[in-house]
Amino acid sequence: MSTLHVLSHSPFSDSRLDSCLRLCGAQDAILLCGDATYALQAGSAPFKALEVSALIIFVLAEDAQARGLSLPEWAKSVDYPGFVQLSIDHDKVNSWL
Amino acid sequence: MSRSLLVISRQAPWSGPSAREALDVVLAGGAFDLPIGLLFLDDGVFQLAPAQNAKAVQQKDVTANLQALSLFGIDEVFACSHSLAERGLSAPDSAQPLSSEQISQMIDRYDQVMTL
Repeated sequence: MSTLHVLSHSPFSDSRLDSCLRLCGAQDAILLCGDATYALQAGSAPFKALEVSALIIFVLAEDAQARGLSLPEWAKSVDYPGFVQLSIDHDKVNSWL
Repeated sequence: MSRSLLVISRQAPWSGPSAREALDVVLAGGAFDLPIGLLFLDDGVFQLAPAQNAKAVQQKDVTANLQALSLFGIDEVFACSHSLAERGLSAPDSAQPLSSEQISQMIDRYDQVMTL
């Protein structure tokens, strides 16, 4: 069973990303949207944590673009239809509200 | 067969409506005999802290509702050991402590997961 973990809060203001990384299974993937895309801020602690996690990381392209964040090679860009497809492809979606 | 639901409650009891809403979801699910589990994670473990006094901030007591869980047939109540230890809380009577590895496996086992 695979879970898509959806994060939308800034990793600099709360612990969702840390906890998510701690609880993520090897089959799971993370989708960053909204302020969660600030985790792509190069050189930051969340950036490094994601880089070494070996998990599949998706990023909602427009949210990253809006914030002027560039996509590292370990992250995959998706649009809204891609977001829907990911929700279908995984057994369940866990939105960290 | 109903699909099983894991509710992850990760907000402190007095910070807003999230803690109560998570509990309401679980109790409603229990009333309909859904296979349901409740996990306290991050600040959510503060809901399990002893000697809380809701009246001091003119609110209703969440801990009383926690005690109702077993009456609604909800026996799968867990707390994250890591979150408990981080906050200096000891393992509560009302929830079974689980390691990060165990929680990861549990999320995998449930059909649906809701994090509040």
